[in-house]
Amino acid sequence: MTRNFANWPIVLVLLIISTPIIIMYAFLVIDTVTTSPPGSAIPNGFTLSHWRFLIDPTATGDVWRPTLTTILFTASIVVIVLGISSTAGYALSRLNMPFRRYFLAVVLVMHAFPLVTLIIGVFLVLQFVGLYNTLTGVVLVKAGLMLPFGIWIMKGFYDTVPWEIEMAGVQDGASRFTVWRKLILPQVKPGLFALALFAAIDAWGEYMLPRILAPSADFEVLSIYLNTVSDPDSTTYNFNLFKSVGLFYTLPILALYAIFRDRLMNIFGGGTKG
Amino acid sequence: MPARSYLTGLAFLSPALFVLIGFFFLPVVLTAVFAFTNMSTSTGISGGSYVITGNLLGSLKAQGVAPTVVDALSQASFVVDEQSIAKAQAAGTDAQFLAEIEQQLSGKAFSEERAFERELKSLRYRPRSIRDLKLAVDQFELSVLNTRFASAAEAREAVSELVPSAPADVVDEIVDASYTGWRWTTSNFTRLVSSSDTWRLVGNTIFYVAVTLSFTVFVGLFLAVTTFYLPAGAASAFSMLWLLPRITPVVLYTVMWKWFTWEGGFVYTAAQALGLPAFNYMKGSVPTAWTIVIMVNGFIGAAFAMILFSGALKAIPVQQLWASEADGASRWQQIRFIILPHLRWPILFVVSYQTLSLLSSYQEIWLTTNGGPGRTTTVWALESFNTALNSYTGNLQYGLGAAMALILVIVGVALSILYLRLFRFDELLSRPKIEF
Amino acid sequence: MQIVLKDFTKTFDGNTVIDRMNLTVRDGEMLALLGPSGCGKSTTLFAICGIHRVNGGQILFGERDVSNMPSQQRNVGVVFQNYALYPHMSVFDNIAFPLKVRNDSKADIARDVRTIAELTHIAELLGRRPGQLSGGQQQRVALARALVRKPDVLLLDEPLANLDAKLRLEMRSEIRRIQLETGITAILVTHDQVEAMSMCDRIAIMKGGQILQIDAPKDMYHNPRTSFVAGFLGNPPISFLDGRTMDGRFLDEGTGVTLPLPAGVTVANGTGLTVGIRPEHFGHAGDVPVRGKVVFAETQGRENLYDVALPNGALLRSVQPARDDVRPGDEVSWQLNSAAALFFTEDGRRL
Repeated sequence: MTRNFANWPIVLVLLIISTPIIIMYAFLVIDTVTTSPPGSAIPNGFTLSHWRFLIDPTATGDVWRPTLTTILFTASIVVIVLGISSTAGYALSRLNMPFRRYFLAVVLVMHAFPLVTLIIGVFLVLQFVGLYNTLTGVVLVKAGLMLPFGIWIMKGFYDTVPWEIEMAGVQDGASRFTVWRKLILPQVKPGLFALALFAAIDAWGEYMLPRILAPSADFEVLSIYLNTVSDPDSTTYNFNLFKSVGLFYTLPILALYAIFRDRLMNIFGGGTKG
Repeated sequence: MPARSYLTGLAFLSPALFVLIGFFFLPVVLTAVFAFTNMSTSTGISGGSYVITGNLLGSLKAQGVAPTVVDALSQASFVVDEQSIAKAQAAGTDAQFLAEIEQQLSGKAFSEERAFERELKSLRYRPRSIRDLKLAVDQFELSVLNTRFASAAEAREAVSELVPSAPADVVDEIVDASYTGWRWTTSNFTRLVSSSDTWRLVGNTIFYVAVTLSFTVFVGLFLAVTTFYLPAGAASAFSMLWLLPRITPVVLYTVMWKWFTWEGGFVYTAAQALGLPAFNYMKGSVPTAWTIVIMVNGFIGAAFAMILFSGALKAIPVQQLWASEADGASRWQQIRFIILPHLRWPILFVVSYQTLSLLSSYQEIWLTTNGGPGRTTTVWALESFNTALNSYTGNLQYGLGAAMALILVIVGVALSILYLRLFRFDELLSRPKIEF
Repeated sequence: MQIVLKDFTKTFDGNTVIDRMNLTVRDGEMLALLGPSGCGKSTTLFAICGIHRVNGGQILFGERDVSNMPSQQRNVGVVFQNYALYPHMSVFDNIAFPLKVRNDSKADIARDVRTIAELTHIAELLGRRPGQLSGGQQQRVALARALVRKPDVLLLDEPLANLDAKLRLEMRSEIRRIQLETGITAILVTHDQVEAMSMCDRIAIMKGGQILQIDAPKDMYHNPRTSFVAGFLGNPPISFLDGRTMDGRFLDEGTGVTLPLPAGVTVANGTGLTVGIRPEHFGHAGDVPVRGKVVFAETQGRENLYDVALPNGALLRSVQPARDDVRPGDEVSWQLNSAAALFFTEDGRRL
């Protein structure tokens, strides 16, 4: 871009409208390692005591079990979403089948349609099949709700692979499955990777489904754990403490985001091309 | 021959179909079905049983069931027969006493407790304490009141036995009304239409969607256009900053807003220091509550809009911008005549997409104001969720909640189909090139 | 192997693109499907290799009816316009892929890949990735991959379109050499008449889903059956003059050019005709002088091209050995060789 305009007024306005974000995130980090006098937001001392929850289960309860559960929860969802999106996306992009048009339309409607509306129906389904209050149930539901998005994204990535590669594979005598597995899947690796990142970030942050679909289960994910810690009625309630827990909980996401920002961009936009 | 290639396609699609049917198709169907029931925690999800309660009798009387029948039902009688003796034996009544009862009173019935009690008092082996006597009396009481019948037939038999004079249709009415399980009804919808709360909810929802959407689009546009003009470093810093709300887990994000706006929080402390009114802004007044709800959701939406708009801006051929500058266009003219026209479709897309997701999103409101203060910031989706799954009183009204959700589902599907038309879905369809 | 298309018909969404086409490709020959874009040549190729289904008629490989077989069972080698190499595999793996999916033994694969790599002169490139190769090298890899499992027929879809001019010349002769050495039946789809004429034994010219003429290149050039064929072959292209018959001769009233009709042809007086004159038959030895004004001159080094405007504005092209005595604007009177003129009826059929 040419530089025939001054930049500083823009930066100033941007800074002003970004104030809430800047303050919230700056203090999210600062407050975890400082103390401040009552009635003031300005820190007056350095401390690591807000992080004691990592080693001391009496502070807020054991944090490592929820962490492990969350990792398991996230990993299962990523695997399911990737597995199913990569096959279904391929089918919708490349394969002949009856009612293909309608499948595509349905997936697209579901992609646009906010799925939280179905939570009551999902709740009833889980009650009927006996997966209510189980980790499996929540994993399946979360993965299922992400599928239309995943399928649509993967279809988009498959669409960019030249048809000739597919044709050449078929001419070389390979079955469609071999063509997909050996020739096409390697071409959409960036898409798979981006979808995996997105699914991981989404699943890691999930709060509502475990809360509603497994309210009295024997497992706890970090989001629920954090919500308990930050409940003002709780005995351990303390801004600094819940910020430490929150930062601990969010760090993996921030790290993924910082490292792979470019790869995530397309997907954050909803996989829409203009 | 086409069948074979169709099979390949279906095989690839089947895992997705399985999950999608389970978690989309079925929930939609169930939502629709249960919208026409009165299902709630008290009725249970599976079937119920038949119980005649005191309350029920009261309302039956009010509905015009003959008072004699109702009174008969509420009356207890005392019968000495094999059954009641066995019952008393099981309850641990003294064996000698019981044998005496059987001998003296077998086959007798008493309509009043006192009469029966008097009879018992005259017996030789009667218990010494009044309490034990009462306990024994209780065992011989025969009543339908608060008895649980597993089927309608059993309940009907019991009622007819107690009130032989009652006509069959009245018995049916009583049994039917005593059903504790859920039943089909359209009352959810009539209740929604007649309630004035409904219209307030609709108003809230429209206000919330419209204002948040405008916030999203304008802030998103502003961010995209300004970062487009900034040097790469600053642009990237701002876009990373604005993406934080979108990637932060919702629990932490909302908790940070609480810290920002509650008593003892940042704004509170700052306002106190400056001598401005300091209170819990999130819950303390309606205007501040709305402002915060809109900002909480608007910041997330703005990030989404910014990404889309920035992507579209990058697609503008840079020669066009150079040409416009060579033609002497000011920055504002450049934005007005080159950039905004390029953003027409992305803007339309953001508006459509966000309308849908704002209409049905309640997670952020739920975790911040939870509809308060009072019910001022409650929107349709939140109310539906609270009714069905998150009631304070503990009685979850699945039926009513499903009815509210069904309305959202219908609106959502209608809008989605409209958008499919709008964004030329047909152009996304390309025929598979390999026909075998 | 001989390839036969019998009444081959192809429709897309109810539009018939190719209607009852018949074509025989002889065993071991290289045939060009030549035509402008949209003429159906690629559709024909895709039907032969099993990517498109036929909507009518049959495709025979020798005695075998392959009409309803998927590509995997047809044993056809195809070279695509963009080569369609598998970007994530080395050259060796690319060439070995058809053998691997056939479950050949490792030793056999290594031997066959080496043999074909030597034939196509890429033996030293086997360890590289396609992205590290030049266009010509990618083309050779694509050829090697198509040929490695000894297909019954080799199909080439615009194989030279993505190459620059120099490589195109080189690959033209290379593809022909490899085809001759393997003796494989080959079909070349192209819109470039030079490619078709220089590489192939026979050319099938297509237009609107039909084959207009099949002939050896030389025969087709000298003996086109329609004015479209005459106009499609030849560079610089043939020029046409419109006129009518008059007393057994052709007369262009606008220019006064009169030509004798070919021997043995009788046409009623006043019939509208078009005459085609190739540039090498105007401006050399001839029997009919034609006056006109040079409106365009271009030198190509060894030869010069001239466009001569006749009085009514019609253009005749001439190609002559290089000379510099004629400039645009000059009036010239050059000889036209009437014996080489090609006569067509108004609907384009050759007289």
